[in-house]
Amino acid sequence: MPEIILENVTKRFDKFVAVDNLNLYIADRGFVTLLGPSGCGKTTTLRMIAGLETPTTGRILIDGKPVFDSQKGINVPPNKRDIGFLFQNYALWPHMTVYENIAFGLEMLKWDKKRIAARVDEMLALLKIEQFVKRYPAELSGGQQQRVAIARTLAPSPKVLFMDEPLSNLDAKLRQEMRTELKRLHTDTNSTFVYVTHDQLEAMTLSTQVCLMNNGLLQQYAPPLEIYSDPANLFVAEFVGNPTMNFIPAKVKKIDGSTVTLDALGKEAVFTAKVPVENLGEEAVLGVRPEFLPIQEGGAVEGRVYSTLPTGMETTVKVACGDTMLTSVVFGNVDYPVDTPITLAVNGNGLMLYDKLSGNAVGQGSIAF
Amino acid sequence: MRKPRPNSLQHEPLIYRLRAFVTNPANLLLVFFLLVLITLSLMPMVTMLTNMFTVHLGTEKKMYRLPVGSWTLTHFKKLFEGSDWSKVNFWEPLKNSFIVAIGAGILGIAIGGSIAWFVTRSDLKCKKFISSVFVFPYMMPAWTLALFWTNMFQNSKVGGGNIGMVEAVFGVCMPEWFVFGLFPMIVVIGMHYSPFAYLLIGGILKNMDATLEDSATILKASRWTIIRRITVPIVMPAILSTFLLIFSSGFSSYTVPVFLGSAVKTYTLSTKMRALIQAGYQGQGYIIAFISILMGCIILGINQWFTGKRKSFTTVTGKSGQVSLVKLRRANWPITIVLIIFISFVAIMPLISFALESVIRQPGNYRLSNMTLHFWIGTEASAYETGMIAGILLNDTMWKAVGRQVLLALVVALIVGTSGMLIGYACVRRRGSKLSRAVESLAFFPYLMPAMAFGTIYLAVATSENFKWLYGTFGLLVLVSAVKFLPFASRSGVNSMLQIAPEIEEAAIIFGVPWRKRMTRILFPIQKSSILSGYLLPVISVMREVALFTLLVPYARYLLTTMLFSFNETGYAQYGSAVTLLIILIIMIINGLTNKLTGASFDKGIGG
Repeated sequence: MPEIILENVTKRFDKFVAVDNLNLYIADRGFVTLLGPSGCGKTTTLRMIAGLETPTTGRILIDGKPVFDSQKGINVPPNKRDIGFLFQNYALWPHMTVYENIAFGLEMLKWDKKRIAARVDEMLALLKIEQFVKRYPAELSGGQQQRVAIARTLAPSPKVLFMDEPLSNLDAKLRQEMRTELKRLHTDTNSTFVYVTHDQLEAMTLSTQVCLMNNGLLQQYAPPLEIYSDPANLFVAEFVGNPTMNFIPAKVKKIDGSTVTLDALGKEAVFTAKVPVENLGEEAVLGVRPEFLPIQEGGAVEGRVYSTLPTGMETTVKVACGDTMLTSVVFGNVDYPVDTPITLAVNGNGLMLYDKLSGNAVGQGSIAF
Repeated sequence: MRKPRPNSLQHEPLIYRLRAFVTNPANLLLVFFLLVLITLSLMPMVTMLTNMFTVHLGTEKKMYRLPVGSWTLTHFKKLFEGSDWSKVNFWEPLKNSFIVAIGAGILGIAIGGSIAWFVTRSDLKCKKFISSVFVFPYMMPAWTLALFWTNMFQNSKVGGGNIGMVEAVFGVCMPEWFVFGLFPMIVVIGMHYSPFAYLLIGGILKNMDATLEDSATILKASRWTIIRRITVPIVMPAILSTFLLIFSSGFSSYTVPVFLGSAVKTYTLSTKMRALIQAGYQGQGYIIAFISILMGCIILGINQWFTGKRKSFTTVTGKSGQVSLVKLRRANWPITIVLIIFISFVAIMPLISFALESVIRQPGNYRLSNMTLHFWIGTEASAYETGMIAGILLNDTMWKAVGRQVLLALVVALIVGTSGMLIGYACVRRRGSKLSRAVESLAFFPYLMPAMAFGTIYLAVATSENFKWLYGTFGLLVLVSAVKFLPFASRSGVNSMLQIAPEIEEAAIIFGVPWRKRMTRILFPIQKSSILSGYLLPVISVMREVALFTLLVPYARYLLTTMLFSFNETGYAQYGSAVTLLIILIIMIINGLTNKLTGASFDKGIGG
């Protein structure tokens, strides 16, 4: 069954390195998202696996067979890779009806007419677009076009399905709806999904594995919850999570196995990691998710309310502590007048400690001021 | 974090890269067109350059006493040295070309720009009529207006002494400077290109974000201040680039100066070029051709530099919501009527004039008793006195010429339309590569060469030792028109392919649709209308072209347009008018068909 392996894949456009020496293992029937800011190489990666882009060097295997190998000169064309591809702009053929759009790929496989008709009907039903069968793409709304595009891609039952930001052209509500559908489709079709997005929420909610990239380099490849709770470096920590993680600069005073004595927010604090701390220089950054920073009477950190941003279900409170701006999330609806003195607690054992110079995580644990 | 491995950049084997290159059809197309265009557009240029430095058979051989083909700089010396010969044959025509080009540019913008402003920004009446009739002259060949001008104003005191309509009806003899020479050239070329200015400037005025002017109104600027400080600066790049385009068209115009200059021996560079070559001064003729090409390049360079620099201005678009139209109040009707009279004179009157001129036996006499249909349907006996065997509708030579021109138009359209589309596809798919850039600019190269100069180049090739077999053949005409009309086709090919997102094709690649099927079943059907007009535009271009063919046809009556010129040079004005009317009719039919079939039309296609 289809697993996808990338070995040392590099893609250069002239001198610009789009993807740098990427190694990736995508498990069979996984739902992998390639996540990262725009221009990080995620779309290029997807297009290389699909065969729409030729890597400069490296090796790609789908289902154990090499589809690309720069050493041996193998480059299997996309149509021989048994894949489906869903484009960001849907790429529906504007001069064909919904039926023709879905049937076209099957005609290319030389299916007979009856079988095509049956399969198209099946797809129309699966995506609930039966009533649009005779319409042209221009006569459909964005969400309906999206469904047609998915139907067209799924019709030949590809073993692997690639999706390039398929939901980014939809409005927020539709996007939510399509996310649910896609996750459901993943189970129903029993195939491997590779999904490109710059929306961390999409990556978190949909995937079994997240591949976070930046500047062509792999940053972290892990299940979404691990990415959230144990970000491997400062880039990952900052990119994932909304509101963003708090970064508190700290001076390292003493390292003793898994205990680190720090100077942070003008106080001395002791960080206790789960495993002994290595590779930590003189300067560190303490990473605290807003939910680990509750507003509490008698908390260790003092500050003043800078502004309050209620969303209904929860409230984000921005607190100024000296020069550092901290974010706290409070459940429910609260409102603090500006400049109210306030104290915050630093809770839990999911706090992160980063080496400032390398940006890499050096420990996870709890802190006591 | 992963660190890049320094040695990960191995180079793949050459054979593999080569295979990857040839499996992309876009690459194959580019290589093919590169070779073809080097042969057809660059090589002739080289031939022309060498001709500037070599001695030719005939006059030159006798004069210089040098063997044919030997290298010399005499052509340059003789042309530039400042003697009377050089003054008459180079400096004077050069000055004339500049005067005509600048004058026509200013006039064209003044007329086209103000009509554009009236139509888009004021509450003028009859806008629909004005805007649709006004673009009509642009569709007609430029020389029809020139011919019309002489038909109207020639009189017994100037030129050949034929009596024109104005003298016949009002008894007024216009002075010579009004009828022939630089003044009418400026007027005719300026009027011919004013619709072009109208389309370009009007398009920008129409798309200009009205809020730009509204915000000035809110800041208490007066109407006039807004026009001066906001509107004009925003359309300025368009005005300048329109001026440059009219300038270069005027500079290289051949047909208008021939009609309006020959009678009083006023030459421009293009008419001089032909005169020199025909008189045996090939070397000097080619030098003038080269200067015209250089001029074209300079103009295009300035234009690109200019529009490139201020591009952000010309692309202003927005919700041009409620444009508050300027109220013309009491001036409204007078302006409307003046404009309608002017436009009718330029657009409708020529047709009436040609129809009239083609049925009068004795020029200048418009009485019914003097009217005859001999020039149209005269038989052998009755048409004898008119110098032809029969009227044009019954004339064998005539129909053969029509047939050749139509066949030429169709063959050229087929070649140009297809090539333009394929070049568009290949260049867009490989956009950014050196190969794609080379092909795109080579395909555009002939645009820089004035038709007359381009014809001259091909004449140089066809009269050279190795290509003698080409001279005077139909194939040569096909070749020269195909290359000359390729620029617009390849431009529109590129533009139409740019409108199709690459994903549209990639979605088909993933299904394993082979290249040819992707073209015929997906890309072409999507761009059906722009591709069809890519085929139909060259038809119109060929139908009205003269300058390109005049040196290359085996004899003057070979094609319809060159035949028309020979009629005029030999003084058979009635036949000339009849043939002109016929050409206009054919062009109108083609344009109408295009419009019906594709929704595209000639004026729209070329204006954008």
